[in-house]
Amino acid sequence: MNKLEVKHLTKIFGKKQKAALEMIKQQKSKTEILEQTGATVGVYDVSFDVKEGEVFVIMGLSGSGKSTLIRLLNRLIEPSSGDIYINGSDISKMNAEELREVRRHALNMVFQNFGLFPHKTILENTEFGLELRGVPKEERVELAERALDNSNLLAFKDQYPNQLSGGMQQRVGLARALANDPEILLMDEAFSALDPLIRKEMQDELLDLQEKVQKTIIFITHDLNEALRIGDRIALMKDGQIMQIGTGEEILTKPANDFVREFVEDVDRSKVLTAQNIMIKPLTTLIGVDGPQVALTRMHNEEVSMLMATDRRRQLVGSVTAEAAIEARRKGVPLADVVDRDVRTVSKDTVITDIMPLIYDSAAPIAVTDDNNRLLGVIIKGRVIEALANTKEDAEEGGEE
Amino acid sequence: MNALLIGKLPVAQWIEAFTNWLTHTFSGLFSFIQFVGNFIMDGITNTLSFINPLLLIALVTVAAFFLAGKKWTLPSFTLIGLLFIYNQGLWGDLINTFTLVLVSSFVSIVIGIPLGIWMAKNNTVKQVINPVLDFMQTMPAFVYLIPAVAFFGIGIVPGVFASVIFALPPTVRFTNLAIREIPTELIEAADAFGSTPRQKLFKVELPLAKNTIMAGVNQTIMLALSMVVTGSMIGAPGLGRGVLSALQHADIGSGFVNGLALVILAIIIDRFSQMANKKVTDAKQKSSKANTYVAVAALALFVFAALARLFVQGDSAGAGQTVKLTYVEWDSEVASTNVLAQVLKKQGYKVEMTPLDNAIMWQSIAKGETDAAVSAWLPNTHADQYKKYKQDIVDLGANLKGVRLGLAVPTYMKDVNSIEDLSDQADKKITGIEPGAGIMKAAQKAQKSYSNLSGWELVSSSTGAMTTSLDQAYKNKKEIVVTAWSPHWIFAKYKLKYLKDPKKDFGSEENIHSITRKNLKKDMPKVNKIIDRFNWTQDDMESVMLDINKGMSPEKAAKKWVKNHPKKVASWTDSK
Repeated sequence: MNKLEVKHLTKIFGKKQKAALEMIKQQKSKTEILEQTGATVGVYDVSFDVKEGEVFVIMGLSGSGKSTLIRLLNRLIEPSSGDIYINGSDISKMNAEELREVRRHALNMVFQNFGLFPHKTILENTEFGLELRGVPKEERVELAERALDNSNLLAFKDQYPNQLSGGMQQRVGLARALANDPEILLMDEAFSALDPLIRKEMQDELLDLQEKVQKTIIFITHDLNEALRIGDRIALMKDGQIMQIGTGEEILTKPANDFVREFVEDVDRSKVLTAQNIMIKPLTTLIGVDGPQVALTRMHNEEVSMLMATDRRRQLVGSVTAEAAIEARRKGVPLADVVDRDVRTVSKDTVITDIMPLIYDSAAPIAVTDDNNRLLGVIIKGRVIEALANTKEDAEEGGEE
Repeated sequence: MNALLIGKLPVAQWIEAFTNWLTHTFSGLFSFIQFVGNFIMDGITNTLSFINPLLLIALVTVAAFFLAGKKWTLPSFTLIGLLFIYNQGLWGDLINTFTLVLVSSFVSIVIGIPLGIWMAKNNTVKQVINPVLDFMQTMPAFVYLIPAVAFFGIGIVPGVFASVIFALPPTVRFTNLAIREIPTELIEAADAFGSTPRQKLFKVELPLAKNTIMAGVNQTIMLALSMVVTGSMIGAPGLGRGVLSALQHADIGSGFVNGLALVILAIIIDRFSQMANKKVTDAKQKSSKANTYVAVAALALFVFAALARLFVQGDSAGAGQTVKLTYVEWDSEVASTNVLAQVLKKQGYKVEMTPLDNAIMWQSIAKGETDAAVSAWLPNTHADQYKKYKQDIVDLGANLKGVRLGLAVPTYMKDVNSIEDLSDQADKKITGIEPGAGIMKAAQKAQKSYSNLSGWELVSSSTGAMTTSLDQAYKNKKEIVVTAWSPHWIFAKYKLKYLKDPKKDFGSEENIHSITRKNLKKDMPKVNKIIDRFNWTQDDMESVMLDINKGMSPEKAAKKWVKNHPKKVASWTDSK
């Protein structure tokens, strides 16, 4: 059962739209259309469908047309051509009155910057959709309070949005949409404005919530990890066109074209890989400043069991393991006494094949340093193996062609 | 290229014709607006005047105290400022000005906010309205007075009309800006939840735009206030008249006092209107309650006062009929009009005196908006106006014979005795008075007919400015040529001589006539008789003028003269 079906949806901005539509029918490229007519194509002949209860993620870089696409679905932006069926009825042909009904009951939206009304309290914001529908005061307050309670925000109901943190504000935005009990939830980069930690929490919360409410969710993001975490299916967009639709696994393992492959790998493979390409940001502790407890807390927060140790000039000193830090805490000695100074280092231009032998007999990550012994990054085993595997495959494929 | 220079486009005639067409076509509508407007504004003014000034000052101070969140600065300023105005005897003017500003602002807001909303919603409308607003804001405010008089005659209604045109743009612009400035996401949110355009406007757009709109309204109020002075040229009552007449008499002191009263009023209104515009905070809950209480209390007080006034005074058509006299702020006319007003008051009439620009004075009598004037200089000085309006007025003949006008110089300019002797004295400048005055027309005529005046410049200013320039030149023994007329106190104060006028451009012998509107004889026969009989001599007039020039108020000087000349007054009023 398809909740939502989109057929040949196109949006053109600017003048000479008729001519541009004609060119789209002839499968002319976006650049060509721009040169000949001066019209910009926002969304280029997009078709997909979303099943009941599915989390459908639309992913793409900025400018790929994903935000335009989601606004076409509830007609905040009027489509130039194409059809959008919700529960089998075409909303692109509806008049204003019918469209309002759909927006009030079937489709609700959560915004990137929360879209809360600064002049209304949290409760008033949450009941906004119900208020528009003309639900009696008592009933709508009850529904809004229940939605807030679900997001643990009931205590803040009389506050104004600017008194809440970003994460709380977005939970209000979500509660506002859910208070309406819509069939479909549109989420436009809903977590992009939050900091990474809160973002993760919100993703988890959304997944928990989804287990409970089983909504159909159209989720927009530019973050591959976010897409992989919450998406049942992912559509990848570029230049207003959908490049590939599939599960996370399909997109990772069977990329439909080079763009998708590059997007999911995020690695420029035309060059020979060096340490610089595969190193990750080092997690460090400052010798002479941090004590064992600080180092342990850091490990705990970052969910690792080892840190690189540097001095104040970011010069590499060695590595500290969790065990060593606990030892130091017990004895009451500074970290400097328990640092393992035997760390293997490579320069950033070292080629992967040279790193391979080092990686095999070192449990600790390898440090990448510059000429002054300053720490630039670390290399972990997984990355090396992955990189090698990929280059091999590439080579083979190249051979076949 | 030359074709452009040969024929001048008759734009002025077109505008004239268009205005005339408007005036005739919509005369019914204009009269109706004038009637309703006058009725409402007189009601407000009379009601506010009915409340004891001290009580009103106390109440406004208390309101300021609560609005300002119980701080002391604004209430103390309000109290001291208003007491000062009351002390200077400007309370009535203040109330009139306040009414004018209140009604102008109200009309501007009622028109401006919807227009601003429409502009924000529709780009085509914005494209059309923006240049119109630019036009409205840059066109000199004086220009609006001309059609205002044509449509609504003189008084407070055209004043409001001109103020509205002048003060409307900020409200429109700020409303448009405020609604366009609302973050797209909030508008999208309102749409995405399925709000009707109306719901969106009242639940989201206006509440979010409120602060900016209020800033625009505040600007509008200030502009309306600044139009008060300009509007007084066409008879809008209030503090502006004091400023204008001070300018025309070069009376620094009273000009300053009137100006200061305007400043005090402006600051009070500005602060009060800003109180209604606070950011969303917890403290806001309290202040908005205070706002509501104060607003309700003000309304209740007003209604109560209005009822009380009706109860006490009965219908406004009281005992005495009202006579509407009009005059120009020349010293001679101030003297004669005040004397006549005193005489009429003694007879039990109410008298309204409206100072106007000369041309508008004639027009207002011709249109029957005012009853009479005793300041028509005929046959030469006001020949143009007489020619234009003689069908629509009644000329009752001379009230003062043998006036004279011409160019005058101080007697120490020995080598100049005739206009023909002028060559390059006084920087080739003739210091004149208001550009609309009859004597200026005569001076222009002289400039054309005397070949030796071809390089001379006729500088127009005001009567007061002319006497000030004369005073300064006289003190420094500098050369000066002025447009002068007698009776006038300058001839008593300085040694001046008229220049001979062989071509008779300034007329030979002039008289001051009394003119009335048509049908005054039928409507108020007794008044008409008094005005008809009213006549006196140059000496009479100059004695009153000198008193005024020495610092006596016109009213006092007139009373003094009436007291000292009972016989003469009786000869006008006796019902024989």
